[in-house]
Amino acid sequence: MEKRLVKKDELLRIVKKVGAEFNVFAPVRVEDNVLFKSLAPGEEPLLTFANTKNAPKGVFFPRTEVMIRYVRTPKGTVLKGVELEARDAVLFGVRPCDARSFVLLDLLFDQDKYKDPYYVAKREKATVVTLACTPVPYTACFCTSVGGGPVDGTGSDVLVTDIGDAYLVEFLTPKGERLVKYFGEAKATAEAENKKETAAKEAIEQIKSVIPAREVKPILDVSFDHPFWDTIHKRCLACGTCTYLCPTCHCFDISDEMKYDDGRRLRNWDSCMFPLFTKETSGHNPRPTQKERWRQRVMHKFKYYVDNFNAVACVGCGRCVMYCPVNIDIRKIVEDISKLQQ
Amino acid sequence: MEAIEKKLREEAKKLLEEKKVDVIVGYEAGTLPLTAAPAFVTDPSDTTKLVWNALCVQNLAKYVHDVVSQHRNAQKRVKPENRTKKVVGVVGRGCTTRSIILHLQERQYTREEIVVLGVPCRGYVDKKKLSVLLEGQEIVHGALDGERLKVTTAAGDRIVAVADVLADNCLICRFNNPVISDLMAGEPAPAMRSDEEYDAVKAFESRPSEERWAYFEKEMAKCIRCYACRQACPSCYCPECFAEQSRPRWVGIGEDASDTQVFQIMRIFHMAGRCVDCGSCVAVCPMGVDLRTFLKKLDKDAYELFGSRVGASLDDPPVLSTYREHECEDFIYNP
Repeated sequence: MEKRLVKKDELLRIVKKVGAEFNVFAPVRVEDNVLFKSLAPGEEPLLTFANTKNAPKGVFFPRTEVMIRYVRTPKGTVLKGVELEARDAVLFGVRPCDARSFVLLDLLFDQDKYKDPYYVAKREKATVVTLACTPVPYTACFCTSVGGGPVDGTGSDVLVTDIGDAYLVEFLTPKGERLVKYFGEAKATAEAENKKETAAKEAIEQIKSVIPAREVKPILDVSFDHPFWDTIHKRCLACGTCTYLCPTCHCFDISDEMKYDDGRRLRNWDSCMFPLFTKETSGHNPRPTQKERWRQRVMHKFKYYVDNFNAVACVGCGRCVMYCPVNIDIRKIVEDISKLQQ
Repeated sequence: MEAIEKKLREEAKKLLEEKKVDVIVGYEAGTLPLTAAPAFVTDPSDTTKLVWNALCVQNLAKYVHDVVSQHRNAQKRVKPENRTKKVVGVVGRGCTTRSIILHLQERQYTREEIVVLGVPCRGYVDKKKLSVLLEGQEIVHGALDGERLKVTTAAGDRIVAVADVLADNCLICRFNNPVISDLMAGEPAPAMRSDEEYDAVKAFESRPSEERWAYFEKEMAKCIRCYACRQACPSCYCPECFAEQSRPRWVGIGEDASDTQVFQIMRIFHMAGRCVDCGSCVAVCPMGVDLRTFLKKLDKDAYELFGSRVGASLDDPPVLSTYREHECEDFIYNP
């Protein structure tokens, strides 16, 4: 594995150089928000930030995506094309939790049996350059409870760690190694690697939020009708903030839009928090109130995903905890479930 | 504030014990530093968790409407002779009671179905203003100490005056004491700077239309269509929102800029003469969209053209559901 050492003031220049050849996505300040977005010409990426408000999942799974275009003719509907083109992209400054979300999304969108061509096309063309969390950005972070870590390289092609006086850059995959040439010639020293180990240990110790994410699975297995589900949803506004900002939420809704005879089929994000979620054509909704919708959200993350893929569908980024407008805290919910009496 | 909180808890407990209400909708401390969250208390012994302070943001009238309408829907499946009435107690500050008045006038529930525990209000803390003041640093610890916030961030400890981070709508609030109440916890709060109520809107109005439209486009570009604004709004209670109707579909659900603009314009116009300026939509927005400038403009129009302030009194009907012979008609005859 290639490892390089990069001076602190070099990194920004490197990102710009990469940007000349690739479509670079990076954290950018837009008014009061830090957003993960495509770098516009002349736009500066942020190197010091906590985490982006939106999750980078949108690069592979956009909020709105055209699937096919068609045209209505006197002889019937004619397919005009399937949109599968993707550009070589570099995702720079992804946090380790969000990089891990790509692996969790791969489990669903890129299975042996089913492959989602739209997701896979973009994912295959993308290189993920992760910026490790030294120090840990938020008190609400709980990545270590769900299998991740502040300096964890899962889902990353390149892992960049701030070791105080420089960045240690590790090229973890062949895809990542294609970028070595941009990062200079200075090889990593043993001292730098030791510093990284120390920084990683310190970062793990900084994480104070711990939840029994794995432990609740056997309880959830037998708790579908538990009265507990009556207690968490009352204050929920039924907005989509938690699911839209979540790096692993991936429910979608497909709709057709027509303009005169030109039609396009769109895939849009959906949210289990919305009243329209799973509403059937008949008008029946198997999840008629916020209670059932909340049960779905918790079950999907901590039971169904474990059943299907043996992984918890949460990376512990803390976004839903911090940005829920009415302070519904998934950490507390999981904690409470772990204490349920059957 | 402590005295008000104590009184509030006592009164809430008494109401529940005497079975005068089935549930109290109030606020409790949140799990994050310097937050409070809506709370639903049914057990008299739980009333100790109720709080009332400058961190209580949400307009609770939204939840009153939710609880009543859910109960009424559930009652439809019960034989008429077995149907029960549910009485909701609500911690009501000025804007909350204005929304309740609007609900009563729009016949969403009856006065007998609610008990208002009035609280004086000195405004609430705008989390975004606080965040800007702290230069985006995360609040690790925080405590509210009278009129000051003691905040700890990675940069160290800091004292912030509550007055410096009050929400814009609170600074110019005209109704910071309950308009209606069954009980009052505490003495009325001093008036805010209501004479400046429309200053910001007037400044916005005076800008050329291109600039105003550019501002609207810029703000709406931030919207991610999570609908938190609509969901938090007490005046947005349609059982089915036009944005979710599919036959026909009035507005696309994707990220097309014009769809987002149409959704927001429609929602804002549905607030004409119905917005109490509680600031909930702005407070809950995860992306920091400025909805208030546009809503306040409609509020100003409703007042200047029709002399009406929504929820100012139970006897003053909502401007768009009434007609007076000599009211403003210029916009019809001389548009």
